Amino acid sequence: MTSVPLVSVFSADDSTKVTAKHIPLPAVFQTPIRPDIVSFVHTNIAKNRRQAHAVNPQAGMQHSAESWGTGRAVARIPRVSGSGTHRSGQAAFGNQCRKGRMSLPIKVWRRWHRRVNIKQKRHAAASAVAATGIVPLVLARGHRISQVPQIPLVVEDKIESYEKTTDALNFLKRFGAFEDVQKVVSTKVVRAGISKQRGKKYRVRKGPLVVYFNENAKLLKAFRNVPGVEVVNVTRLNLLQLAPGGQLGRFVIWTQSAFAHLDKLFGTYRYASVLKDGYQLLRPLLTNPDLARIINSNQVQEKVQPAKTTTVLHEVQKKNPLRNTKAMDRLNPYARKQRAAAIAAIKANTKGTKKIKKNKALKKASRAAFNKVSAALNDATNAAVQEEQDIKVKYFSVQKGAAQAE
Amino acid sequence: MSQKKQQMQVEQKVPENVAKKTVRDTKLREAVAKRRTERLAANKTRRSQWEKNGQAYEAEYKATEKSLVDNIRKAKSEGGFYVPAEAKLILVVRIRGINTLNPQVRQTLRLLKLRQLHNAAFVRVNKATIEMIRKVEPYVTYGYPSRTVIKNLVYKRGYAKVNGQRIPITNNNVVEQQLGKFGIHCVEDLIHEITTVGPHFKEANRFLWAFKLRGPRGGFIAKRRSFINQGDWGNREDLINDLVKRMI
Repeated sequence: MTSVPLVSVFSADDSTKVTAKHIPLPAVFQTPIRPDIVSFVHTNIAKNRRQAHAVNPQAGMQHSAESWGTGRAVARIPRVSGSGTHRSGQAAFGNQCRKGRMSLPIKVWRRWHRRVNIKQKRHAAASAVAATGIVPLVLARGHRISQVPQIPLVVEDKIESYEKTTDALNFLKRFGAFEDVQKVVSTKVVRAGISKQRGKKYRVRKGPLVVYFNENAKLLKAFRNVPGVEVVNVTRLNLLQLAPGGQLGRFVIWTQSAFAHLDKLFGTYRYASVLKDGYQLLRPLLTNPDLARIINSNQVQEKVQPAKTTTVLHEVQKKNPLRNTKAMDRLNPYARKQRAAAIAAIKANTKGTKKIKKNKALKKASRAAFNKVSAALNDATNAAVQEEQDIKVKYFSVQKGAAQAE
Repeated sequence: MSQKKQQMQVEQKVPENVAKKTVRDTKLREAVAKRRTERLAANKTRRSQWEKNGQAYEAEYKATEKSLVDNIRKAKSEGGFYVPAEAKLILVVRIRGINTLNPQVRQTLRLLKLRQLHNAAFVRVNKATIEMIRKVEPYVTYGYPSRTVIKNLVYKRGYAKVNGQRIPITNNNVVEQQLGKFGIHCVEDLIHEITTVGPHFKEANRFLWAFKLRGPRGGFIAKRRSFINQGDWGNREDLINDLVKRMI
């Protein structure tokens, strides 16, 4: 059995008293909040209240201006004909000219209004109604609802028969809605810009929206003069009022009968709407939006792979191990001992390496052998030199002998 | 009044979401703590292993050096000569830029990981690589790196290729992840594999990104000439170490 969200209906005279407990929330309040649809519909529907305007079609063109052509050392723009005044010879007609006509003058047949698909308009309205039931959205829109006993606020039909503004004010005070009205009053400012001279002197915020059902309700007149408060019949809910500025979450006060009418108006997820022909509420993408519960459920956790552990392969900065002892120790623990041994050896005034056992006998023998070889080489060279000298002496002596002989 | 308060406290129920989540969170937290303690214990054993390896390699290097010296002396004492084994490893440094390169030379340099000026890379010596280096000889200088130079290159300029990214070798996890299955668990293992050109030299060298060196302090002599001709390009055998020390 699924649980249905429930709402209490409050007594009009006493905000602590509840006349009807546990009324089910109409299905509209369960529709998905679609700010994309709402903003699209709002931007287009907001254009529908515009009045056509245009510039005078003759503006800037009421001259017999003609271009002087080339050869006169002036630009080729059309110039005002005639003489006897400053204006003659001045440039005219162009959008760049002083006193010229604007470029692309505005025409009354500009497309002022936009049509939006009915389905989109209906979905937007449903989303906007749903958003009025979500406290964070209403707060985010800027309404002062901290003292309001319940959102959505549903009150018995008695307020529909209010005729006096004092009754209306007292009612708002009783239900903590007066803070919102005070906000509207205190933030009323003179509008910046020319519009203040064109009938829009003040910029006024939006306060609560009161929604009623019975057509001959007198509360319209009672609430009319309360600043910021708007009154509307539930059959004529307006997106421009439910989401002013395209922003979801207006603070709405419903009468009981208006609240009950919403199911007929928008339909439920079991039945299509009665009054909106062929309209069915938008279905949400997720039937169970509780992601935390889904993720933590046994079914998901059984299939889930273990979380990846971040293993860093190397230190962020490479330090030179030849100079940095810690870096060297990380790579080669034996280096520490080597270094210690070297230092100890230096301190002990010996060579930096471990004493190599010298093979003295071998060294002596090799030395001796070397000497022998070098001696032999020496003898050989001496012998060769001597031999050469002998040959020379012999030759010269022979020559001498020959010369002498001759 | 206090009775009502007590009643309220008893009636206060925790939302189902919250209850489930707290149970799940405590379980996760316990798992994380357990993993952490395991990891710390494993790290301790790993570190002691690295230290042992480092010590073993030091002894190994000293032994090879000593044996070389002993062999030379022995040969001398017998009146002969000791010819040490030809170098198994060369360090190639690119000394020419990217402009106006013969396409074959360009491709070969790319194969040697030398895509940029002053890039250095280790290359194993065999017929294939010798031919490759011969092709690019006027554009590179190369020689036989010493142990210190190899060590300094890997520590100071060592970056790894991990998933196609150039990752600095700041801790041994980088090495372990990529080369653990080849028995190379720490940087000292990597250096040992490179210097001794071990069985997994290919993987170890592939793991290393090309060393990006700076221009040599003090400059080149003449890049247009070969080293033999009072220039810079080509084989300069052990003198590569002097150059690279100025470029690190």
